[in-house]
Amino acid sequence: MEKILEVKDLRISFHTFSGEVQAIRGVNFDLYYGETLAIVGESGSGKSVTTKSIMRLLPENNSEIKSGQILFDGKDLTKLKDKDMQKIRGKDISMIFQDPMTSLNPTMKIGNQIMEPLIKHQNMSRHAAKERAIDLLKLVGIPKPEIRVDQYPHQFSGGMRQRVVIAIALACNPKVLIADEPTTALDVTIQAQILELMKDLQKKIDTSIIFITHDLGVVANVADRVAVMYGGKIVEIGTADEIFYNPQHPYTWGLISSMPDMDTDDEELFSIPGTPPDLLEPPKGDAFAPRNPYVMKIDLEQEPPFFKVSDTHYAATWLLHPDAPKVEPPEAVKRRQSQYQGTVGVGNGVALEKDKFPGKKEGK
Amino acid sequence: MSNKDISISKDMFAPAHIDPSKSEKIAKPSLNFWQDSWLRVRKNKGAVVSMVILGILIIMAFVGPMITPYTYDNQNTKHNNLPPRIQGIENVHWLPFDGTLARRDGTVYNAYEVRKVDAYYWFGTDNLGRDQFARIWKGTQVSLFIAFMAALVDMAIGVAYGAISGYLGGKTDSIMQRIIEVIVGIPNLIVVVLMILVLKPGIIPIIIALTITGWTSMARVVRAQVLKFKGQEFVLAAKTLGASNSSIIFKHMIPNMFGVIIINTMFSIPNAIFFEAFLSFIGLGLQEPHASLGTLVNSGFKSMIAFPYQMIIPSIIIALIMVCFNLVADGLRDALDPKMRD
Amino acid sequence: MAQKEKLLEIKNLKQYFNTGKPNEVKAVDNVSFEIYKGEVMGLVGESGCGKSTTGRTIIRLYDATGGEVLYNGVNVHGKKSKKQLKEFNRKMQMIFQDPYASLNPRLKIADVIAEGIDIHGLAKSKEDRMNQVYELLETVGLNREHANRYPHEFSGGQRQRIGIARALAVQPEFIIADEPISALDVSIQAQVVNLMKQLQKEKGLTYLFIAHDLSMVKYISDRIGVMYFGKMVELAPADVLYKNPLHPYTQSLLSAIPAPDPISERTRKRKSYDPASHNYGDNESIEFREVAPGHFVLCSEKEFKQYQAHYKH
Repeated sequence: MEKILEVKDLRISFHTFSGEVQAIRGVNFDLYYGETLAIVGESGSGKSVTTKSIMRLLPENNSEIKSGQILFDGKDLTKLKDKDMQKIRGKDISMIFQDPMTSLNPTMKIGNQIMEPLIKHQNMSRHAAKERAIDLLKLVGIPKPEIRVDQYPHQFSGGMRQRVVIAIALACNPKVLIADEPTTALDVTIQAQILELMKDLQKKIDTSIIFITHDLGVVANVADRVAVMYGGKIVEIGTADEIFYNPQHPYTWGLISSMPDMDTDDEELFSIPGTPPDLLEPPKGDAFAPRNPYVMKIDLEQEPPFFKVSDTHYAATWLLHPDAPKVEPPEAVKRRQSQYQGTVGVGNGVALEKDKFPGKKEGK
Repeated sequence: MSNKDISISKDMFAPAHIDPSKSEKIAKPSLNFWQDSWLRVRKNKGAVVSMVILGILIIMAFVGPMITPYTYDNQNTKHNNLPPRIQGIENVHWLPFDGTLARRDGTVYNAYEVRKVDAYYWFGTDNLGRDQFARIWKGTQVSLFIAFMAALVDMAIGVAYGAISGYLGGKTDSIMQRIIEVIVGIPNLIVVVLMILVLKPGIIPIIIALTITGWTSMARVVRAQVLKFKGQEFVLAAKTLGASNSSIIFKHMIPNMFGVIIINTMFSIPNAIFFEAFLSFIGLGLQEPHASLGTLVNSGFKSMIAFPYQMIIPSIIIALIMVCFNLVADGLRDALDPKMRD
Repeated sequence: MAQKEKLLEIKNLKQYFNTGKPNEVKAVDNVSFEIYKGEVMGLVGESGCGKSTTGRTIIRLYDATGGEVLYNGVNVHGKKSKKQLKEFNRKMQMIFQDPYASLNPRLKIADVIAEGIDIHGLAKSKEDRMNQVYELLETVGLNREHANRYPHEFSGGQRQRIGIARALAVQPEFIIADEPISALDVSIQAQVVNLMKQLQKEKGLTYLFIAHDLSMVKYISDRIGVMYFGKMVELAPADVLYKNPLHPYTQSLLSAIPAPDPISERTRKRKSYDPASHNYGDNESIEFREVAPGHFVLCSEKEFKQYQAHYKH
């Protein structure tokens, strides 16, 4: 498998009235051709900031990339000039936003909005661009595209608008598509349709997708691989099966077990106590330590490195260190692990050097 | 950070105890709305400088008339039309405070020496020999008083009218809004001129004239805010708790509008000063010997070529007040507007 | 179920907006259900289906266009004296959706929570008032020190708990929770749901729990009503509704919720709902009928027979 995008040791801070907020504190991940990588996390975990930095959409006046690289096609996006970035944005990398109501221009015809990137990036004639716009609308499942192409956004329902947004994002056959909570503003039944559509399209046009969401159900539906973010860092990354059936980080445990599924009848839901960390003054050691029921002394002193669980699965928790005591994960996680056992043995504790992390082995 | 480099002793893996009550702790110091806003205003240099200048102007408006030996209405025709002269810097000729005047042919002479006046009029004197320094600060005082009073009355009427109109809604709202539209529809210059003609020029009539149309913009702003807050959940929550209408308006809505109200008032003060100056300029302002910035500019204007200082100094003061109030209002808007918060 | 005491009875509730105008909206259209003492009744549906409007109409934030809301047998709507209204306000409380909008940003937490205490004169002295506030803060898992802070200093979950404390201050019997967790992060949702469940047990509260997140609703509710375009289409005990959904809309809704389970997600078949699929005739009466004890479905006579014939017991 070939990498299309590499994020290396990314650190981003925001300068606010109260001080420096360290929104991203050393994020590493790779994106491979044709895969869907889901980034999960709570608000403030840094998931949106990470992707906005890839698109270079962070506000310039108060954000600062402290260190790190974002490599795309051999170019470091963090160092690109604005003009060069404009050539990549919308062509090689495009983005879908959360709210379909505000991400379309209400005074422009749908067709023109789809044609804009085509004319700009691919030097198409207006006529050819319009043909392509109709094709794209057909592709995203909008009925009667020949008529719809000349309509305005207010004539579309929420789900239909999100389809249009997807059509615009896909207009130039981007290599990477970033979807920032694309279904959060939609109703469940519409959400299901949009997810279906995105999976379908990915097969057809072979784009890599970074899918940001806080909804684990959505992740299970779309993701090949999952990165769990907490406090500005990735705490666990692996294939969807590994994250859902053999999670290793106590935060992932908490996330999974605090979501009741249809069979949950437990008297009390598992819940993660406390509140997310304040990134104005990130805690020493593991950011999750204050909410971690399995906290050890070392969590309060040192940040855990990534421990390898399998070739594709890494988790940053001291619990995977050979010296750490064996702990019992919550019931819901145990149920999932037993479901998963036999497929892959539960790995333990090989600490990794940071620069080797993370990734699938090539040729997998 | 390779694993080998860290020496980790086994006892580091012992469970640690964390006080669960600490997980709810808030580390930040508690700031209320005003402290928070002040921090924000402070970052805006223009606003801070403007506040300082306004502070000085306001202090001078009260202190100024007292620190000269002359009073604002004391006429001394022997000393009329003297240019500004200040002790200590009278020999610095590039400053306009050396007591010199230019004749029409361009020659410069010292008016004090020529007319053998042994006195210092810091801002000069007018055509009746009244001390301009005292008159200007007295005028500033009067202008500011008129502006502040007008703004306060605007605020009181506007907030009450807007809140009632927005909160009651329905037919009442429609009728009240039509009334505002009628008032706004009549050119306010006509209303003001008629008011002054009926009431005779003076401080109170000018305030009344200014407020009779001025409150409408505040009423509209407040009504829009009330409509916005009416659907907000904290207002609904108060309703479900059984709060009375007045407590919802005064406890929940108006405190949340302070920002908007203050900003609106801040913008209406320079407007009022400007309008007062304008009225004076067209001869409907205060009558002699009373002075306001507008009357000073008006009388200075008549001898603008021969004695430019008589018009320039009050004009500068008006301009300063207007610019500073606008800058402060701008700074406050950025600081108080919740949308600008991060 | 028959022995259970009815706390709230909603009869043919109608809430129309812009009545008589071309843009008339029937937000709630002829909805009837009952809530028993001590139970959690869930209300689910998509945005715009009228579930929140139903809740708000019950608590009199809107005046109902038609129908009755009987609380302990007394109609909530209609003309009331101030005293009656206040009494009613004490018994019925509401928790709101948006923890950022539901607390007045200019009030200290102590004053937010004590608002109900002040209105109803529940405190004997200033000290008593503060003690009640402290107690409420501790009930919802916050500290005394939080009383002097302002809402913007709290996280979403903490604010939601403050909202709960405010509702509890007047010692209500019945709480309408209007999407109390949908604006919260996953890890915080469980905290709030646990707190609500625990409070219910301790104080014997009755809830109307409005949400679009079906898995949480299923977890907390005893019975669930499904709404679609202003109408209640199905009402059944929580387990029954999930195991045996009858109305095609309920089935579609259930099939659409993504489960945090990749294996089942891969094989999942979604069902979509088309209101035209009922093929109702012009003279068929579409009514809310009891297919099995406690399980109501909005259906025609013909469908009713079908449902009964195929009912899985």
